[in-house]
Amino acid sequence: MKLQHVSLWLLGAVLILCLMHTRGLRRCLISTDVHHIEESFQEIKRAIQAKDTFQNVTILSTSETLQSIKPLDACCVTKNLLAFYVDRVFKDHQELNPQILRKISSIANSFLYMQKTLRRCQEQRRCHCRQEATNATRIVHDNYDQLEVRAAAVKSLGELDVFLAWIDKNHQETSAA
Amino acid sequence: MVLTEIWTSLIMWFFYALIPCLLTGGVAILPAPQNLSVRSTNMKHLLMWSPVIMPGETVYYSVEYQGEYESLYTSHIWIPSSWCSLTEGPECDVTDDITATVPYSLRVRATLGSQSSAWSTLTHPFNRNSTILTPPGMEVTKDGFHLVIELEDLGPQFEFRVAYWRREPGAKEHVKTVSSGGIPLYLVTMEPGAAYCVKAQTFVKAIGRRSAFSQAECVEVQGEVLPLALALFAFVGFMLIFVAVPLSVWKMGQLLRYSCCPVVVIPDTLKVTNSPQKLISCRKEEVDACAMTAVLSEELFRTWT
Repeated sequence: MKLQHVSLWLLGAVLILCLMHTRGLRRCLISTDVHHIEESFQEIKRAIQAKDTFQNVTILSTSETLQSIKPLDACCVTKNLLAFYVDRVFKDHQELNPQILRKISSIANSFLYMQKTLRRCQEQRRCHCRQEATNATRIVHDNYDQLEVRAAAVKSLGELDVFLAWIDKNHQETSAA
Repeated sequence: MVLTEIWTSLIMWFFYALIPCLLTGGVAILPAPQNLSVRSTNMKHLLMWSPVIMPGETVYYSVEYQGEYESLYTSHIWIPSSWCSLTEGPECDVTDDITATVPYSLRVRATLGSQSSAWSTLTHPFNRNSTILTPPGMEVTKDGFHLVIELEDLGPQFEFRVAYWRREPGAKEHVKTVSSGGIPLYLVTMEPGAAYCVKAQTFVKAIGRRSAFSQAECVEVQGEVLPLALALFAFVGFMLIFVAVPLSVWKMGQLLRYSCCPVVVIPDTLKVTNSPQKLISCRKEEVDACAMTAVLSEELFRTWT
């Protein structure tokens, strides 16, 4: 009888912890309006993708990498990919066209803001990095390194719409702030 | 000795000659704009500065900006403002440039012909989350018994929260979220004789901040009062009903009586039979003759009975 009570209590405690854990991840939200960033990108998408000469290669490896990410790993992968874009892609891309430069600046600064929001989540321990998330990030970096820097940067910029759609799907707000 | 003196004076004259060149050549004589500041209200950001006055000349200004990303990773890159490359007024609407909620550095320089001043940079970088949010303008109207409001259109970044309640003690406050302004919005169907109050606030998702609520505006709906014409028609109608109906009932009764009930009995004297007494036609002139005739008839009748 006592053993039954103890095991039931343990099960309840585990369930509550799991619930809080996943709830916390879902709530690790980016309050930025991702649609606004998507709109900015739509205006330069054609120009950027036209510069991509390696059509058969992908850096974000959509079907293998992004789509297979579990909700538990979403926060960590988002954080890592934001850092990938901010620390590598935007810096490696040299843009001369002022209109395109303006839009890339807008996206880069919005990413910086999203990183700050996620950092708050991380401080509250709601953005834990498991092995799967780290592996997925490494695949993206490896894909990037296999190409020449400028070509890799242009290709990664061209795949921004895929990345933004993935963020939108994983971090939808359930209620107004 | 003399040679050295000549040499020294030559060098001195050379440098004296150079001084005007140094003064006018590389150094700009156009002063840089001063007192840069940003005034931001409801996500509209305006960079302002003190104008550079050159008598008789029109001075133009150029604005450049740099987001936090650029200042950290590519600090040499400044982006020209969307609307203010060679603008005349001492202000610039940088709303379309400040597109992320991070600190932005802004700088301005004056241009006169081929001359340009030095760049003057904003002292403290501007972050759009410091914008002043004011309560939204609101128009409250009645459409019959419907309570309708129209909120100020503040652009796509603004959402609204509208609260409305019946003005009575203990009334519950209802809240509605509106995604954009500028269009009429139906709130509730009001009950007659009650007063309803409405207030609204804005919410900007990009910076996660709300404005204060606006002043509550109240409207009242009168109890049911028919328009005068309708009331008059109703009165006339009622009168017709209350008078015409009994009258027609009575008339119907009369008709029925005449049609159903027996005929009135005619007296004997008026009966026309085969009697020896002939019908006397009495004309006015023959009244006496008639009277005589009548008397004679009576005597005859009396002797006979």
